[in-house]
Amino acid sequence: MIELYKGVYVVEGMPVLFIKKLNALVCSDLHLGYEGVMADRGIFLPKTNLAKIKETLKKSTEITGAKKLIIDGDIKNEFSKVHMEEFNEFRELVSFLKELDIEELHLVKGNHDNFIDRFERPFGIKIYRQEFLLKDVLFFHGEELPASDEGKLLVMGHLHPAVGIFNKLGVKEKVKCFLYGKMADKRDIIILPAMNYFSEGIEVNISNIDDTPVFRRMLNLMDMNVVGIDYTEAVKFGSVRELADIL
Amino acid sequence: MIRVLDRQFSVEESLDSLNLFIRKWFVSRYKEPSPPQRYSFKLIKEKKNILVTAPTGSGKTFSAFMAVLSDLMNMSLANQLEEKVYCIYVSPLRALNNDIYRNLNEPLSEIYSDLSIDVKKITVGIRTGDTPTSERQKHIAHPPNILVTTPESLAILLNSPRFMENLKDLKYFIIDELHELANNKRGVHLSLSIERLAEAVGHDFIRIGMGATLHPIEDAARFLVGYDRKGKERDCDVVDATWNKKLQFVAMSPVKDIMNAKDEEIENSLYSTMNSIIKKNSTTLIFTNTRSGTERVVYNLAKRYKYGNEHIAAHHGSLSRDTRLGVEEMLKKGKLKCVVSSTSLELGIDIGSIDNVIQLGSPKSVARVVQRIGRSGHGFGNPAIGEVIVTNRDDLVECSVMLDSAVKRHLDSFNTPKNALDVLCQHIVGMALNRKWDVEEAYETIRCSYPYHTLDKQDYFAVLRYLSGMYVGLESRRVYAKIWYDEKEKVFGRRGKLTKLIYYLNLGTIPDEVSVDVVTKENKHIGNIEEEFLARLKPGDIFVLGGRVYRFEYSRVMKAYVSDASGMAPTIPPWYSEQLPLTYELAINIGRFRAEFTEAVSKSAKKEKKLISKLSRNTLEANKDAKKILDSMPMDDNAKNSMFNYFMEQLLFAGYVPNDRFMLIEQSVDEESERNLIIFHSLYGRRINDAMSRLFGIKIADMHDTEVGVNITDNGFVIMTPEDVRITGKEIHAIIQELGRSDLYKMLRENIRRTEMMKRRFRHCAARSFMILRNYRGIKIGVRRQHVNSQAILKAVEEMDPNFPILKETYREIFDDLMDLPRTTGIIKGLVEGSIDYKVITSDIPSPFSHMMLTFGEADVIMMSDRRRHLKELRKQVLAKLKEMSK
Repeated sequence: MIELYKGVYVVEGMPVLFIKKLNALVCSDLHLGYEGVMADRGIFLPKTNLAKIKETLKKSTEITGAKKLIIDGDIKNEFSKVHMEEFNEFRELVSFLKELDIEELHLVKGNHDNFIDRFERPFGIKIYRQEFLLKDVLFFHGEELPASDEGKLLVMGHLHPAVGIFNKLGVKEKVKCFLYGKMADKRDIIILPAMNYFSEGIEVNISNIDDTPVFRRMLNLMDMNVVGIDYTEAVKFGSVRELADIL
Repeated sequence: MIRVLDRQFSVEESLDSLNLFIRKWFVSRYKEPSPPQRYSFKLIKEKKNILVTAPTGSGKTFSAFMAVLSDLMNMSLANQLEEKVYCIYVSPLRALNNDIYRNLNEPLSEIYSDLSIDVKKITVGIRTGDTPTSERQKHIAHPPNILVTTPESLAILLNSPRFMENLKDLKYFIIDELHELANNKRGVHLSLSIERLAEAVGHDFIRIGMGATLHPIEDAARFLVGYDRKGKERDCDVVDATWNKKLQFVAMSPVKDIMNAKDEEIENSLYSTMNSIIKKNSTTLIFTNTRSGTERVVYNLAKRYKYGNEHIAAHHGSLSRDTRLGVEEMLKKGKLKCVVSSTSLELGIDIGSIDNVIQLGSPKSVARVVQRIGRSGHGFGNPAIGEVIVTNRDDLVECSVMLDSAVKRHLDSFNTPKNALDVLCQHIVGMALNRKWDVEEAYETIRCSYPYHTLDKQDYFAVLRYLSGMYVGLESRRVYAKIWYDEKEKVFGRRGKLTKLIYYLNLGTIPDEVSVDVVTKENKHIGNIEEEFLARLKPGDIFVLGGRVYRFEYSRVMKAYVSDASGMAPTIPPWYSEQLPLTYELAINIGRFRAEFTEAVSKSAKKEKKLISKLSRNTLEANKDAKKILDSMPMDDNAKNSMFNYFMEQLLFAGYVPNDRFMLIEQSVDEESERNLIIFHSLYGRRINDAMSRLFGIKIADMHDTEVGVNITDNGFVIMTPEDVRITGKEIHAIIQELGRSDLYKMLRENIRRTEMMKRRFRHCAARSFMILRNYRGIKIGVRRQHVNSQAILKAVEEMDPNFPILKETYREIFDDLMDLPRTTGIIKGLVEGSIDYKVITSDIPSPFSHMMLTFGEADVIMMSDRRRHLKELRKQVLAKLKEMSK
């Protein structure tokens, strides 16, 4: 496992973070019910996402023995309502987590997570509107800046970061990645890749994303470090600046 | 049996086959039948399937329709005509359909107005995407006797049970512009529609095909008629009247010395040559190979020679429909002096008479040049006249051999996509909507169609399983399944209320394309590029757009941001552009010519000072043997002169001239980028070189664990390696041997698996297979959305089943249609076994025949000065070295 900060690891090339002192796994942007929502729009994806998420979480708990799971926003896909498929998949995931002996499930609301509060009581999970602090780690989804200036380490999702890598024959491949580095106020931050299997992400070294609120106000994208993942291994790629330069 | 006929019937015999009134009208208008009509009138009367190929404007359409009208007129006079469709006419173009509709109604109204008896008249109806609903409704209640339609509208009619009732007595099925359909999925789609139609009406009908010539013409006939249910090829008579019209053409070099002339001189001469041709004739049609080329030629001719909008116009696919119709209208009235087109005027739209056709640069295929030049001249009596103006040295060789092949009637072959599973998906959904099918019965129907005659049964079952949702869980099948399929009972049929709507709204084979906006950082719009082109760009890459040079900075949400890079050499070849690849047969012909001509040239090849100084001025006279060859070819004196000098330069400098049986492989260096070059003179066309360059690239990259750059042209390909990686001749030899042992399909599949090209092609195939809908429940789904998700589907599908039918079809399309992997495999085998010789040479300066490859050989009409500068620099070095060698 690659260690990003002391006791904070990328779990074996998967889009999952393990924070040792919290004994917690962190992931983001699951977009459950994705295939069902897409089918409504006339795009018939074979069902893959939930199965892949379950497989990833199972491996991650086996490796780390974590007892907590923190989902850092966008657990579901539809903005405007709860889709039938989303509800079914959510229920399936929660019962699966029990099988994995996950004792606590924390959920930060993302921009896709309207109407999700109604799940809180029946499923016995904790849902946070904006952000929440666990020891000195501040979790927020990332669409908006965190209100709190507490916490030494910040963890966000939302961005779906990836990098574009050109192979030996000049063919571009997209690789999901973690971004980590220092914010303007010297706090550490980690940006999680999307857990959704279908999301390939935005190529931070090619697409110019400097003007999203987080980057405009809190940190310099170019100075962020990159750890690429492909579900088998994780690789340190250096900083976004270095990646942009060698292209 | 397919029978190619070569004896026409007499005028009298032909006219005797017509109904008296039709004959009277025909003779009053045309005096006597044209060559194709002297076959067709009688043969159609004898109820023969027939394929007629002839140049546009040769009375081709009437060669079919006069015979059909004649039959229907007999019925009309006997008052036997009912409100039924007796004849269906399909063409790929709506504009052509409108012309046909007019051209049919004209004789009918004239004939009937002369008739004094009161009979049921022959009716003609048109149905395309443009036809209003009220009109379509009318067709159901009162069907026309002759229905003029498009492949897509026909496919919709097949699923209209009420309309199908009107087709029970169908007698004739006509396909026009068959050459535009036989080589693509649109034609494949039509072919299946026709077999479904034959099955539905329960009897066969007479099939008539028309088009420009195709090779092999027997395969074109098979495409038209297909097979009967016993698997026997249906009979068809073939009439190739293409060559009855005389063709007069010549390859021209705009300047005496195309090697040394200054850019300005070439440009000036190019336009003055064009202008003198325009002035001599009443209407001239100019073909360029790209849309932007078309615009530039119009602009320059107008500016230089003060032509106004009433004299000269552009006509291409990017122009609005109204603009194009306006231009066509002016042409018909004979008002325009000159019209410039990329491809749009190649087809049979009625544009009045053209005296002369000018082709700028190589159109890359013998059949195409014959067809384009064939647009000039009135009827069969007058010859078609055309000039092909070449723009550089390789173009010169290519165009000269192309025209020579045309004289010798050595046409390039066409290729029908075989067993395309995406198109099959559409039709199976359509079939299931109509009724319950026995699996075997449906299979037999499908196999009647020529493109599906060899359909693998396992693939067929895989399609049924995909369509019936067996690849997804039971709980989702309600949403995913498009057909109902009982694997045990071996039957399939309709399923779901929405399927019919999905079928109607998503049918067709022409994919939606995404174009990416190119803008400056200040958001000024510059133009558009294909997304596939964008996918290849790295920040810092220099490319050409609209004749200007830009540097790619970054991309964001379907926008590419660039900055001005005037004066810099492009790093990305423009071969993703609209330019068509050189056909294989023409490439081979060029290779053969190279071999033959080199033998003649070599007789006077001496490294003498005098010879070389003449060579550097391009004034070397051809020797006797070379002159004999050149004089036999349709080229002007400027062209002949340059050709001899070009070959001599290559021969003296490198010692070898590559040809179809001899591949020269050069190791050299690009001084500017300091990269090592391996130049493969594999003159086989871009489709093969695309595959071959990847195969060599993969091996070289693996062998040295290094990055390689690849540049592909029709004449060969170049692999670039970093300064410190130099590939030896021994290694190239080893790679060839290794490729001979490798599974090339597997290697390439792995190579393209994650490319944008794969994603894009997969999106097209998934859309054709109704996996990604373009329109669902009446809501249009933007192509960008389709695209984003096609990447996701591709990934999921790959994991689910590597033999998933849509995935399989995507690879087939890339390997067989886009590239030519079967022939590539053959060439590599040839290299291994020795039937194709090869030689690796080393030189610090690349040889003359590689210069166009190194400077992105895909020349547009007007050369870019940056590229020319690079070219000239290379040539200067070659000549200096030759001088040195002669001392």
